[in-house]
Amino acid sequence: IQICVNKMNDRRRINGPSGGTSAPVYSKYLSKDTKDLSERPSRTRNSNVLRKMFLKTGVTPSASGSAYLELEASKSPHVIAPGLASLSTSGLKLTCTVHGPRPLPKSAPFSPHIILTTHVKYAPFATRRRRGYLRDASERDLGVHLETALRGVIIGDRWPKSGVEVIITILEGEEDQWWGDDIGRGNMGVGEWGMMSVLSGCITVASAAIADAGIDCVDVVSGGVAAVVRPGAQGKQSTMLVLDPVPSEHQEILAASVVAYLTSRDEITDLWVKGEIGHENHRTPNSSFSYEDLADNAVQAALGAHRVLIGALKETADMKMRRS
Amino acid sequence: MAQSMSIAVPGQLLGPANESLPGPGTHIHDSNLYASILGPITKTNPPKPLGPPKRLTKIIPAAPTPLSTVSIERNIAAGHAKDGSKAKAEILPEVNSTVLCRVTRIQPRQASVAILVVGETVLDGEWQGLIRVQDVRATEKDKVKIFESFRPGDIVRAVVISLGDQSNYYLSTASNILGVIMATSEAGNAMYPVSWKEYKDPETGASESRKVAKPF
Repeated sequence: IQICVNKMNDRRRINGPSGGTSAPVYSKYLSKDTKDLSERPSRTRNSNVLRKMFLKTGVTPSASGSAYLELEASKSPHVIAPGLASLSTSGLKLTCTVHGPRPLPKSAPFSPHIILTTHVKYAPFATRRRRGYLRDASERDLGVHLETALRGVIIGDRWPKSGVEVIITILEGEEDQWWGDDIGRGNMGVGEWGMMSVLSGCITVASAAIADAGIDCVDVVSGGVAAVVRPGAQGKQSTMLVLDPVPSEHQEILAASVVAYLTSRDEITDLWVKGEIGHENHRTPNSSFSYEDLADNAVQAALGAHRVLIGALKETADMKMRRS
Repeated sequence: MAQSMSIAVPGQLLGPANESLPGPGTHIHDSNLYASILGPITKTNPPKPLGPPKRLTKIIPAAPTPLSTVSIERNIAAGHAKDGSKAKAEILPEVNSTVLCRVTRIQPRQASVAILVVGETVLDGEWQGLIRVQDVRATEKDKVKIFESFRPGDIVRAVVISLGDQSNYYLSTASNILGVIMATSEAGNAMYPVSWKEYKDPETGASESRKVAKPF
């Protein structure tokens, strides 16, 4: 409904149908036999293992700095039609460009430090439900979180009277739930868990692009996300804490947290927690996770992303040196 | 050329702050020197200090040994200068840096310019600058006429004297080596300099007044 309203306000373009479009699923892929039905993909890695990350800088030569990040999609155990996009779960694909330091517009007041602007946008084809062309509230929210994370890292007073712009385009977004849960029920009561993995990826890719652009930073900031999930069927009490959660792999997610972490200073520049773990007095012995545990585990996930980030940056510098 | 210089990432520890001086691309935190940008670490040795002068009647203590400067090279893809020295890559006009700019507009008491080159780096965006009438020359500042010193379209070498206000850097051409280095006559031909205040058009033979930079 949020997307419908967006489309009605956008009168500059010829928009598609406001209800959203999805690719048709042909009947030969639908089977009455229960053993042929797609199963929810399950998490095959350990709870403390992150997905494989691909990170490369310098993908947009016309920008001061740029980077591309890709996380692999999870695989279903019984694959009926391996190529059919509507039956598979999505991974995460982000691209980031950094422009600057650029002179500020003449109308801007004098600023002794650099002005950071962030801009996060889902491509219209990035999610299962088509997004509009204009930024909506969730994208602005991501932009504000990203700016908070980066503001603590950039050494601003080396660049007076200038601005730097960080633009992130999400080419494939993390889904909020498994598509099989969505049949017929519509979007009832599903939290936006996909956005948390997206924010964590945005922080890492923006950090790589800023280092590629040569803007002074105190450290390399990386994003990590952890969640408390209930893996069993409804009714079971046991919960689990996992790093780098994929919302489609879990029946129920109780809470999740994203951190932007500085490794050499051991500092957090941005922290976002969503969900309910429950008060300390009401916790059962099976679900004894606290918000501190959640944040600590998100920091562990950020450390894993940091290793990939450092490797990618060193590769970039090697390539630049060999070229000169 | 394959050089095995170690690469630093932002936040990498370079050493304690009392062992070396911080150069460009580094910052100090908690008495330690850290890298701020991605690039190779370079250590420049300071000039060797002269020993104390010999005097038979006085004991003079030696000067403290100067520290070497650790810096991170920026813009390594830009390549090295022909003579092998590495040009310091700037991104922003800084105070006391020499810039090349193009005059965009002249007014009775100031000339607006667009700063194109800082040091030896061509800038990304166009930064606005201002040359006030009292900064055109070092002598006889009250008798300066902007129309006889600059014209729109001239290329000027100037030095940055101040960060200025929200929209302009303040520049000065008050030196022999600063001023107009390239000018076009009213007839549209490129002119050559004749003296510190004159450019001559080779085709029409007409002279035009400018504040001319000494060619070297």
